Amino acid sequence: MLPVSWYLIVSAILFTIGVSGVLIRRNPLVIFMSIELMLNAVNLSFIAFSRYLDSVDGQMFVFLVLTVAAAEVVVGLALIVSIFRTRRDIDVDDMNVLRG
Amino acid sequence: MINLTLEVLLFPLLGFIILGLAGRFISRTAILTIACGACGLAFLCAAISFFSVLGTPASTFVSNPAAGDQIFYTWVVSGDFQVSFGLLLDPLSAVMLMVVTGVGFIIHVYSGGYMEDDPGFWRYFSFLNFFIFAMVLLVGADNFLFLLVGWALVGLASYLLIGFWYQRRAAVAAAQKALVINIIGDFGLMIAIFMIFTFTAQKDGTGTLNYFMNPGAGGPLTGVFTSLSTVPHNYWRVVVICLLLFVACTAKSAQLPLYMWLPDAMEGPTPVSALIHAATMVTAGVYLVARANPIFEVAPLALMVVGIIGGVTALFAASIALFQLDVKRVLAYSTISQLGYMFMAEGVHNYSTGIFHLITHAYFKALLFLAVGAVIHALGGEQDIRKMGGLRARMPITFWTFVIAALAISGIPPFAGFWSKDEILGSLFASGGRLGYALWGIGIVTAGLTGFYIFRLVFGIFMGSYRGTGPVRHAHGDEEEEEPVEAELASARQPVRSRGSGNPARGAGNGSIFEAPTIMTIPLIILAFLSVVGGFVGSFSLFGDPGWHPLATFLAPVFNTVHTFVEPSFTRQWISTAVSVVVSSLGIGGAWLLYGKGFEYKENKNPFYQLVFHKYYVDEFFVLVLIRPLLWLGRAASHWLEGDALDGGSRAVAWVLRGTSAGLSRLQTGYMRNYALAILFGVVVIILYYAVRR
Repeated sequence: MLPVSWYLIVSAILFTIGVSGVLIRRNPLVIFMSIELMLNAVNLSFIAFSRYLDSVDGQMFVFLVLTVAAAEVVVGLALIVSIFRTRRDIDVDDMNVLRG
Repeated sequence: MINLTLEVLLFPLLGFIILGLAGRFISRTAILTIACGACGLAFLCAAISFFSVLGTPASTFVSNPAAGDQIFYTWVVSGDFQVSFGLLLDPLSAVMLMVVTGVGFIIHVYSGGYMEDDPGFWRYFSFLNFFIFAMVLLVGADNFLFLLVGWALVGLASYLLIGFWYQRRAAVAAAQKALVINIIGDFGLMIAIFMIFTFTAQKDGTGTLNYFMNPGAGGPLTGVFTSLSTVPHNYWRVVVICLLLFVACTAKSAQLPLYMWLPDAMEGPTPVSALIHAATMVTAGVYLVARANPIFEVAPLALMVVGIIGGVTALFAASIALFQLDVKRVLAYSTISQLGYMFMAEGVHNYSTGIFHLITHAYFKALLFLAVGAVIHALGGEQDIRKMGGLRARMPITFWTFVIAALAISGIPPFAGFWSKDEILGSLFASGGRLGYALWGIGIVTAGLTGFYIFRLVFGIFMGSYRGTGPVRHAHGDEEEEEPVEAELASARQPVRSRGSGNPARGAGNGSIFEAPTIMTIPLIILAFLSVVGGFVGSFSLFGDPGWHPLATFLAPVFNTVHTFVEPSFTRQWISTAVSVVVSSLGIGGAWLLYGKGFEYKENKNPFYQLVFHKYYVDEFFVLVLIRPLLWLGRAASHWLEGDALDGGSRAVAWVLRGTSAGLSRLQTGYMRNYALAILFGVVVIILYYAVRR
């Protein structure tokens, strides 16, 4: 069996890719995908630890995260659609009405 | 014992509420009916209660002063200490309730005529009912807290009614003056109550504010009076409590040094002056001293102060009244002077005579005011004696009733004032000692002055020939006063105020002056009757039977702890009586010599005359030493303290906040990635922290 650290390295790589995506990309759809990537990186580390520690706690968390992610995507996509309808544009850098 | 004190209290309150809420929408007849009905029913209930007290044997009240106490509601509960709302019916409060509601009722009826065409008719009557309510609360309360409530509400009623014609600056200024001075008194009363509470709390562990607690069958007497007057008591503390109570009395009863508000209170409608500022409210102080007699009895020093203040005030006010030109002001100073008599009587332990004079004074002073009110009404608001005269033929009823009242106040037998005043003088004479004789001398001199100034009014208003130019056509309080009167000087600078003076378009001669309508003359006649016979409830001790004195006998249970009162001997009483009657007759004669052929006003440069005419410059003095510095202080404070210090401080706070928030709001860029980066940065910092700490 692979040592747990390999999983963690993959997870960290995935997470970093996600973070970079969130920070760099301007398309909200891509940002969402990056967020999914981050969430799944965390899921991966949860499952790895779950196996390593021989406990189901981590797997339960994964289910929770999946549920939340699904809900979040629903709300987020609805927001994006709604913003697109009013502005005809979904560039996140243009959504700066709340700036100080 | 039938105890209807609650009804006495509630009827006027009901009238006040109805008139206050609905008075605007109902007819004048309805307003008058409600107001008079409320007061009349209260009087009826008071009379029933009074007669039932009269029918109760005196021993009931001696053994249990709280026999007529009714407790309705517990207001404050704090541990064992509690204050409840209760009304006490005993001889003293029964008499006071009779006077308040009785004279109040008569004046209600009279007001129906006097205020006939006033736009604030409903407001006037609701205030009047409110006053009766407050006064009944003051008189009927069975503990000091509700006494204070009544005391303050009475002051409020007075304020509202003095400032009734609020379009006039002078009236508003007078109302404020009255309120401020009364508040000083309320403050004294409040401190006294605090001290009473700490005193009783130290004594029995819980404390009480009730005059008397109902001991039940055979229990020991408790309550403030028993607690403070039984040994061991701390003499100086009791003296201080008494003096503080007396501070309240000087403010409410217009004694030196807090009398200044009463003459100014004449800005109110004349029936109000009659009811509040002559007959009832101002007697609250006399009532309080009489009510608190068990405490005053153990603090003779305080009682001495009461007597001295009373005496000095009596003389002082009577001398001011000598040469005033505003007829109502003469009566106002006369009221102060007569209240001084009452305090003198109480100062020599003779409380029941103080109350006796309070009652007769209520009759004749109300009558004087109402008669003068009829004159003012007929003259359309003229109050200056220089513009009156010769009204005897035009207003016969007013004239005769006024003469009766004048004889009564001068102490000419057998009118009411004679009996009470003579009893006061007699007991002053009998009490002896330097103080007794000094007060007696003051009383005699004051009696002479009283005869003089009151008959100066009689001759000035009714005799000679008419000096005015007919009634001034002015509705009450309709006009806006143009003159920019500085509020604090309103009264000081204008010793005589005549509404609507300088109006050339007045009626000609006295042909258009008529006797007051029946609704006003009937109260005059009733009061005149009372001023004649009212004294017969009092002193017959003149004829050698000291036991026959119904009022004193009736009140005796309330004053049963009084032990130092000296009953004047037969000879002394007669000497005092003879001297006082002779002196008042001299005063009347003097007035006749000077004004018998009609009043004539001459400038008089005599410094003494000027001093008295300007009321000893007391108002000017207070304006100079108190009001001007206060105004100056206020202006300075509003400019420097308020403007620069306080406002500057808050402005600085606002400036700092605005600056920092402007700086901080730059962080809010609106770019999502900035936020994301910030979050990331935060997470990294947290992780680093844990990593390093490990």
